[in-house]
Amino acid sequence: MGDSAYSFSLTTFSRTGKLLQIEYALNAVQQGKTSLGICASNGVVIATEKKLPTVLIDSKDVSKISLVTPSSGFVYSGLGPDYRVLVRKARKKAQSYFNIYQEIQPVGPLVRDVAGVMQEFTQSGGVRPFGVSLLVAGFDDQGPQLFQVDPSGAYFGWKASAIGKNSLNAKSFLEKRYSEDIELDDAIHTALLTMKDGFEGEMNEFNVELGVVSEDRRFRILTPAEIRDYLDEAL
Amino acid sequence: MSRDSNYDHHITIFSPQGRLYQIEYAFKAAASSGLTSVAVRGRDSAVAVTQKKVPDRLIDPTSVTNIFKVTDEIGCLTTGITPDARAAVQRLRYEAHEYKYKYGYNIPVGVLSQRLADISQVYTQQASLRALACVVLLIAVDEEKGPQVFKVDPAGHYFPYLAASSGAKEQEALNWFEKKVGTFAELDENETIRCAIQCLQSVTDFRGNEIEVGIVTGKEGKFRTLAEEEIEGHITAINDMDL
Repeated sequence: MGDSAYSFSLTTFSRTGKLLQIEYALNAVQQGKTSLGICASNGVVIATEKKLPTVLIDSKDVSKISLVTPSSGFVYSGLGPDYRVLVRKARKKAQSYFNIYQEIQPVGPLVRDVAGVMQEFTQSGGVRPFGVSLLVAGFDDQGPQLFQVDPSGAYFGWKASAIGKNSLNAKSFLEKRYSEDIELDDAIHTALLTMKDGFEGEMNEFNVELGVVSEDRRFRILTPAEIRDYLDEAL
Repeated sequence: MSRDSNYDHHITIFSPQGRLYQIEYAFKAAASSGLTSVAVRGRDSAVAVTQKKVPDRLIDPTSVTNIFKVTDEIGCLTTGITPDARAAVQRLRYEAHEYKYKYGYNIPVGVLSQRLADISQVYTQQASLRALACVVLLIAVDEEKGPQVFKVDPAGHYFPYLAASSGAKEQEALNWFEKKVGTFAELDENETIRCAIQCLQSVTDFRGNEIEVGIVTGKEGKFRTLAEEEIEGHITAINDMDL
């Protein structure tokens, strides 16, 4: 980052005290495909639309949800290439943590590290902010957790949240259906119903992706067959 | 400086709507060469075909090419501004051979595509370097996954494709392929070559020596380009089929 020819930050304060590049980055996120997450009492689920521009793309090898530690995963809304960079950096940081402490990096510290990277790109010379918001799902000694990280590097823990195009509708949908003691299976059904609510066209097990972590602390991406089962139950 | 949001057209910073104009312009530059390329994945081969236009009769036609060998097993087809394309190919060759040196085995084409895509992403985020104005199609037969076609674009996107296109008639070629998407998996080597040539024929006009064809067949296959006579042979076969 320090080796670019620009030694000044591109993200500077406007006269009214705003950081416009970050606001514009948030607009880029708003235009991205919808993703959401729900934190249940015994696990976390994250979901996203997987709409590829053409049927000619071999979609079974394409995945928007990524495993970062054995117990946590990311999903995003916004610019795909920027997301790949963050996943790579987060995986490396998690591996360094493991190298030192010989245990899996917990969700809070992981989120703090990723958010730190995103903040650096709002202040360093010659770079623009990341055009993604992340939803981080994980299970550690503090239990199941869901975090949202924005292009500014700000992060919050959420009981349920949505990002991207349909986030406003999705969040009100989620507000009605969320309860503190919701269980993971219910949360998965609710996630699918929420995705379906704002989905353009028919939603099936091939154009939606689900990632889940439960008390076993193993984050996994569900197969289309498993999604099909949940869809049949939910609808 | 970024207070003047007019700079969002000059370097890769966000516009008020959250767009990256420089990247959108890079796509336009990549399509500006006027040529179209396609690639298809068959049962055990991956084929790439591109138009070849020699701009001046005095130019040595053997020096004009958009198909390059990256490693013995991986070939690539570039569409866009030639100098940028050559820079991308140099980088691909370096990355592939560095990987072999470090890890002791051939780089899988998916990993190489991701590497190029990640490098392209850096250009979209650093103000000091512009994006490369070329779209790269990589073809190979992977040990585990069989024939593969990857497309990498200036924005840093990359996807595995059953069939892909890029350049001036990208959308028309894509539409042609989409109608036949179920048939690719059963095509043998010759059928795959003919499918790719037919697609290009239907969206552009060319004579026999105005296209280049690159192909990899079989898990032990090496990337090679077809000679003019072989291409003529396929075009004749296609014409015979139609009659």
